[in-house]
Amino acid sequence: MAITILPPVVEDLGPYQNASDSDEDMSDNSDSDVEMGGVSLQKKRSHFDSTKLGAKFVTPGEVVHDDPQWMRGHGTYTTPLSTSIIATVAGNVVQTNKLLSVQPLRARYTPEIGDLVVGRIVEVQSRRWKVDIAAPLLAQLPLSAINLPGGILRRRTSADELQIRTFFNEGDLVIAEVQSVHQDGSASLHTRSLKYGKLRNGVFLAVTGTGGGGARSNLSKGGVDSSLAVPGSASGTGGVVRSRRQVWTLSTAHGGGEVDVVLGVNGYIHISKHADGEAAASSTTENVSINRMEELVSSSIYSSQNDEIHPQTRREIARLTQSIQVLVQSGVRVDEDTVTGAYNASLQVDLEVGDDEDEDEGREYLEGMKARRIIELVVKGN
Amino acid sequence: MSSQRQASSAAQIPHLSPAELSYLYTSLSLPNSPIRPDGRSPTQFRPLSAETNILPGTNGSARIGFADGTQAIVGVKAEVEKTVLVSDTLDVQHEAQGTGNGEGGEGSSSAVTGGHGSWVQMSIEIPGFRDDDALPVFLSEMMRESLVGSVGVKDKSGEENMAGGLKGRLVINKRWHWRLYIDVLLLSQPLSYPLPLLSLTTHLALLSTKLPKLKSKGEEDPFFDDDWAVAEYIYPRVLGVSNTLQVRPPVTLLVISVGENVIFDPTREEIAVADAVLAISVTRDNEAGSLQPLKLLSIRTIDPPSRLTQPGIPNSENVNMLGAPAPNENVAVLNPATGEEEVPGVWRPRRGGVKRSVIAGMVKTVLKKGGVGEEVLAGLEGVEVS
Repeated sequence: MAITILPPVVEDLGPYQNASDSDEDMSDNSDSDVEMGGVSLQKKRSHFDSTKLGAKFVTPGEVVHDDPQWMRGHGTYTTPLSTSIIATVAGNVVQTNKLLSVQPLRARYTPEIGDLVVGRIVEVQSRRWKVDIAAPLLAQLPLSAINLPGGILRRRTSADELQIRTFFNEGDLVIAEVQSVHQDGSASLHTRSLKYGKLRNGVFLAVTGTGGGGARSNLSKGGVDSSLAVPGSASGTGGVVRSRRQVWTLSTAHGGGEVDVVLGVNGYIHISKHADGEAAASSTTENVSINRMEELVSSSIYSSQNDEIHPQTRREIARLTQSIQVLVQSGVRVDEDTVTGAYNASLQVDLEVGDDEDEDEGREYLEGMKARRIIELVVKGN
Repeated sequence: MSSQRQASSAAQIPHLSPAELSYLYTSLSLPNSPIRPDGRSPTQFRPLSAETNILPGTNGSARIGFADGTQAIVGVKAEVEKTVLVSDTLDVQHEAQGTGNGEGGEGSSSAVTGGHGSWVQMSIEIPGFRDDDALPVFLSEMMRESLVGSVGVKDKSGEENMAGGLKGRLVINKRWHWRLYIDVLLLSQPLSYPLPLLSLTTHLALLSTKLPKLKSKGEEDPFFDDDWAVAEYIYPRVLGVSNTLQVRPPVTLLVISVGENVIFDPTREEIAVADAVLAISVTRDNEAGSLQPLKLLSIRTIDPPSRLTQPGIPNSENVNMLGAPAPNENVAVLNPATGEEEVPGVWRPRRGGVKRSVIAGMVKTVLKKGGVGEEVLAGLEGVEVS
C-alpha cells in the first residue's frame, strides 16, 4: 500500500503517552505519566492550588500567582501596579523554593559559551559570516575566527576578505563552537580547531535543541524517569541536550561502515560517513609534527566535494536519521546513549517485523508500530 | 528583518549546501533502489490523517494533516444562481448537444447539460503569500482546471452518470444553476510544495459535499427540500456497486524524477535536487471497456528549484586545497540522466530537461492498474464520510 490514511488523533496527550498507553508491558513510570497528563489538563481550568504548582500549565498573559510571597523567575513578568506574576511563555510552572518560573514547551536555542553547534551560513558580509544556529538572532562567525587553509597563522588581509566566499558560502553547513555571547543574546562563533569546519559527506536534520535556558536538562531521561522529572512536564519535548560527547563515531550494521554523528547543542544534527583522512592523521600523530598534522587535516576543511559513499553506508545513515526522528517525536532526549540505543533497537525491530511482513516496500520507513517498539526498547535499555 | 522573513517565506526551498545536495542526489538516483532520507520506498507516501465534515456551515469540508505537520482545510459552499445565457455558454450548449441530456429526457436537445467552468470558483490561501501572488493563483487554476475538465460518460447500464462531469452536475435547469465556491486554507507554513496536500484535501471535501434535494421539476424556479438528511452527494455514492464506475473528483499528485528514478510524495529536500517536477492530475476512468482504471487529465511541469542552487567546487579547482594531496578522483563522468559531464561528489545545478522515457515512466507509474494513482484514490474513498 502506497498510502496510509489515518483517522485524526486527539491531541490532548503528548505523543509519548500515546505510545505508552497502548502497550501494557511498559514500566510503571510511564503509566504514572499518563495520569499526570490527565491531572494537568484538569488543573488548567480549576482554581490555582499552591500545593500543586508543578502540575499547572499556563499560557502567555495568564496570571501564575498573585500572592506577593512568590518571586518571579524565567518566563514571567510583573507589573508595578500589582503583585501578580504573569506568564510570558506557554509552558509548565516550575517552583524552586519561593521562585516561580515557567518552563516553555518550545523555545529556541539559547547560546552559551563553549557549546558545540552546527550552523548554516545564511549571509556573507565583508569580514564575517552570519550563521543560523536556531537561536533568536543569527550568530556571527568573524573571518578572524577561522583557520586558514594549511594552518598558516597570520593576520587576515584584504585578499582574504575578497575571497571570503571560498571558505564558506551561503548554505554551507559548519560545525563551530560558541566563543562569546553578546548582551543581546547573539553569539560569536569560532572554528579554530581541527575538529571544526565545513560539513559534507552526509545529511543534515534539525530537531529541537536546548531551549529555555537549559531548563530542559533537568528533565533527566527525557520524561522517562518521572521521579526525577518535574511533574507535569513529563511529556518534555526532548531534543538534543548538552552532554559529555556531542561528536562520536558509530559503527553500523549491514556493512555500513563507520558513521560520524554530530549533535549540535542547538538541535542541528549532521550524520556523515566517517572521514578516513582524519583517522589516519590522528593515528599518526606521534611521528607527525603539530604543523604537519594541521596541514593534512585542514586541506579538506573547505572542500565541498563528497567522497565516494557506498549505498550500504547511505542506507545506514538514513536509518540513523530516522532513529533520531523517532526519538524526537516521542519526546525522548537525544544523546549518545539514546541514539545508539534507538539505532540498535531499529535493527532489532526489523528482525522482528521482517518475518510477518512479506512485502518489501517501505521496509526501512520507521513509523507507527515500529517507532513505538523502538521507543519501548530504548526506554527499557536505559 | 521583515525583508528577510519575506524572502524565507517565498523561498520554497531551503538553502542546502552543495555537499548536501550532491549526497541527496546521488542517494536518490541510485539505479533501481533510491535511498530516501526517511527510508520510504519511492512510491510510498508519508502517513496522513484525514477527516471530513468538520465545518458545520459548509456543504462539504475536509481536513488533512501530513506527517510533516502541514495541514489544510477545505470548505465547499454552494449557491443557487440564475444562468445568464451569454454566447460563451450557448457555445457550450451546442457542443453538449451530442452527449444528450440528464434532466428532462425526451431527447430535447436544447437542455443545458454542459454547464460552465466559471461556475466553480476556487480560492487558495497560503500563509505568507498574498492572494494575487503567483503561487496561489497558479495552484488554484491548476486544480480548478482538472476539476471542471473531468467529464463523466455513460456507464455500462446505459444510464447517465453525471454527464458533463462536475459542470453538468451543477445545472439545475435551463435558467438556474449551482455555483460552487471552494475555499482552500493552508493552516501551516508551506514546508514543501503544497499542491498534493491541497489537492487531496479538495478531493475529500468534494466527496463529502452535499446539495439539498430538488423538489421542483423541469423548468420551474428551483425549490429544495428542507431536510438536510435527504440531501444528495454531489458525487453520487452508490453502495455495493464497484467503485470503478463512479465519477470521482480528480487528484493531483506531485511526482519528481531524480536520475532515472521516479519518486512520489517528495519532501522539500527531495524537491530541491529533482531533475523534473511534474503535477499529474488523474481521475477514475468510467468509460466501459477501458483497460486502465484511471484517466490522465493533465500534466504540468513545475519549475525545478534545483537549477537555482549553488554549485559545488571540485577539489581540483578549490583554491583552499592547493596544497592538498593529488586529486586523482576528479575524473568527470557522464550522468546518464542528463547527458552532462560531472565530477562525482560535486553538485552541479540542473539545467532542466529530462528524458522522454523518464516522463513516460512517471505517467505509467501513476496510471497503471494497481498503481499509485489507484491506491491514492482508493485510500481517499476509504475515509469515512460522515
